[in-house]
Amino acid sequence: MDDRLRQMLAGYVDNELTEQERIEFERELAVNAELQRELKEFNRLKTVTGQMKYADLPDQVWEAYWQSVYRKVERGAGWVLASVGAIVLLVFGVFEAFSKLYADPTAPLWLKTGLTLGAVGLIILLVSLIRERFFAYKRERYTEVEK
Amino acid sequence: MREFARYMTQRLDNAGLSERDDGPGMVTDSALVMNMHNGDKNAFRQLVERHKRMAFQTALGLVGNRDDAYDISQEAFLRAYRSSGTYKSDQPFLPWFYTIIANLARTWLKKRSVAKSRDVDLDDVEYLMTSDTTPEEEYIRGEEIDLLRKSLLKLPFDDREIITLHHFRNMSYDEIAELLAIPRGTVMSRLYYARKRLARLMGGDHG
Repeated sequence: MDDRLRQMLAGYVDNELTEQERIEFERELAVNAELQRELKEFNRLKTVTGQMKYADLPDQVWEAYWQSVYRKVERGAGWVLASVGAIVLLVFGVFEAFSKLYADPTAPLWLKTGLTLGAVGLIILLVSLIRERFFAYKRERYTEVEK
Repeated sequence: MREFARYMTQRLDNAGLSERDDGPGMVTDSALVMNMHNGDKNAFRQLVERHKRMAFQTALGLVGNRDDAYDISQEAFLRAYRSSGTYKSDQPFLPWFYTIIANLARTWLKKRSVAKSRDVDLDDVEYLMTSDTTPEEEYIRGEEIDLLRKSLLKLPFDDREIITLHHFRNMSYDEIAELLAIPRGTVMSRLYYARKRLARLMGGDHG
């Protein structure tokens, strides 16, 4: 069976053919046993699927739907603000601690060196992570809206 | 042509899928997205109220679980809200929004298959029920419908998508073609192959 006939079979079952296509299809149907078998199968399937429908949600769920969506928007904004605030405080705290440590002549050199290397390592990891996420976002941000 | 446009609007309305600009004071979906992007909370609310049922029921057909479909539909609205900056005012809203739902459903199914490595439990399949049939008819059809439920969940995503849109969202070929941005002939081919696979899963000639 060729592609056009397959398409027409689907269209015939769903009454989506033009008059001319329908006549053409029925002419082929009269002499094609495979087509007759498939038509029977598809009609049966359509009958079964026609006996089913979606169950809806209760009205109270729909009434609360918008509130639920809006709460998620608010929470999302809340998380962003809280995260930014936490990062600012953390950076400030680390900066203060390091300033005091380096200004203290009694602090041992190994401690200053160790903390410095650790801090540089963490900054590199952080920058790398941000860069990766940024490029991934640039590449993928349309995946949710484009075919 | 005008008759066709009116017909299409009516069909899309019936399917809960129209671009609403059909009355005084009614704002189009596209305008609502643009307003939403400019921080208009009311526009966002209108969009949600307008399409929440369609979003939920479409997700339901794709993932087969009511709780997850509810979450996916809500997440789709959040994504639409966050992505509204990428929306072009001259593009139709519903294909854009539908793509968000479909991608979320795909991701959900992928995660689910990794987590469980099995099909969705029948207990989770709450989305299909018999329509207005008598108890006797319902009883007789019970096994067949259970088989259909199981088979639908085993179909590849693209097959389930086309069957959901056509059979359970009652969309015409033209509407599906517009929604998925594919030619009408492709809709017909996809429906043909989806039905073939579904029939095979149900045991071939089950009549």
